[in-house]
Amino acid sequence: MQSYWTLLSWGPEGWLDDIAHGVFITVSLALCTLPFGMALGFLIALAKQSQEPLLRTAGNIYTTIFRGMPELLTLFLIFFGVQLGLQALVQYFIPGATVNVNSFLAGMVALGFVFSSYASEVFLSAFRAIPRGQYEGGYSIGLPYGKTMRLVILPQLIRIALPGLSNLWLILLKDTALVSAIGLNDILRQAYTASRVTKQSFLFFGVACLIYLILAIISSYGIGRIEKLVGKQEGAR
Amino acid sequence: MRILNKIALGAAVAVLAIGAAQAQDKTIKIGTEGAYPPFNNLTSDGKLVGFDIDIANALCEEMKAKCEFVTSDWDGIIPALQAGKFDAIIASMSITDERKEKVDFSGKYYNTPSVIAVPKDSTVTEVSKEALAGKTIGVATSTTHYNYAEKTFTDSTIKGYPSSQEFQLDLANGRLDAAEDDIVVMSTWLDTADGACCKLLGQPEPQPVEIFGPGAGIAVRKGDPLAGEFTAAIKAIRANGKYKEINDKYFKFDVYGAE
Repeated sequence: MQSYWTLLSWGPEGWLDDIAHGVFITVSLALCTLPFGMALGFLIALAKQSQEPLLRTAGNIYTTIFRGMPELLTLFLIFFGVQLGLQALVQYFIPGATVNVNSFLAGMVALGFVFSSYASEVFLSAFRAIPRGQYEGGYSIGLPYGKTMRLVILPQLIRIALPGLSNLWLILLKDTALVSAIGLNDILRQAYTASRVTKQSFLFFGVACLIYLILAIISSYGIGRIEKLVGKQEGAR
Repeated sequence: MRILNKIALGAAVAVLAIGAAQAQDKTIKIGTEGAYPPFNNLTSDGKLVGFDIDIANALCEEMKAKCEFVTSDWDGIIPALQAGKFDAIIASMSITDERKEKVDFSGKYYNTPSVIAVPKDSTVTEVSKEALAGKTIGVATSTTHYNYAEKTFTDSTIKGYPSSQEFQLDLANGRLDAAEDDIVVMSTWLDTADGACCKLLGQPEPQPVEIFGPGAGIAVRKGDPLAGEFTAAIKAIRANGKYKEINDKYFKFDVYGAE
């Protein structure tokens, strides 16, 4: 029986390097999803409060679907379903060709869809918290819509939306564990493989637990910093 | 429109890896789990090893194909095969009727037999209904081994346990006269310190397919001719000694089971 320290060492004997690679996958997936999900969520929030009823309906349907479906199902639909669809489409033109949807990309898109549907609600409530007078103030000094948005509304919006968004970030960070089901070697899958091979389930799942906890602590620290930064801007103005 | 076209093209290139490799240099993508030692598992330095992997490589060599391994989570392994992530599953997958509805199987490439173990000082010398009469045999319930023991050793007391661990303990501390389990599980345990109490007595014969199932096979998509090619390749490596070479590297017994 190898000792715990050998099992957790860095290098060919131990599993630490494999788990570290899993941390890299998890963190990079979450970081790649965040801007994509945020941007999409913002656009959907805009659509939901637009004057155009068609856009509003589209936005509402989108949130209903992606908030209502289990995340794992969304992931499977994109990873397997989209692959089957694309395959059929491509083979219609080039018989015998194979298509492969990259699992990282599928994970990113699926988690991004889910993230954006929740984020749109956060943005929407933030939009509603900003009084109409702020827009009117922007227009009255001659700012066009885009500039009013960027200089007047967005800075306040971010401050109001931040607590909600930071919640979503932590949820996203943990939801990445789902991608182990489509063969991405994230923290959870690496821990699972290590535990099956070495028969030390408690040790490796314990380590995985700790890593998620550490990531959450780092995140709260980072969010705290951003909150302070946004607060300072407010004070300086 | 031009910009839209460019975006669409860029996205297509990013998402898809379109390969039209066929005919001459055939590449077979093989899906495996990578967490089931000693059959297929990733090592701590990231290599895929095990009986399944060696067999897969031998089969590919026999079929003159290039093999690429893809690891997949067990729960998603059949959907991934159907979606074309890989062309075959070589991951110790038992051939069952339920799975046959979704995929096609090659012939079995192994079927580990059921065995009986007894304490080292046991007076029982052979595996038969008569020799085990009046003895207590421990088996894990809702397994093929249990079904078999109940039908076969009708003069013995069959004691059911929730899993192998429990009857292993009882066999070690003398509450059982014998125990029946899969040979891989049993011999792995016998090699540990806890299993030092006991020894392998032998395999009950015959082991009917109706009870034990046909064994582990190679799964391919429905209607894929690869199934037949794999079956032929398994026969070929059985015949040319390659199978035995791999078998002996991992096990002290023939895992193929009855011909």
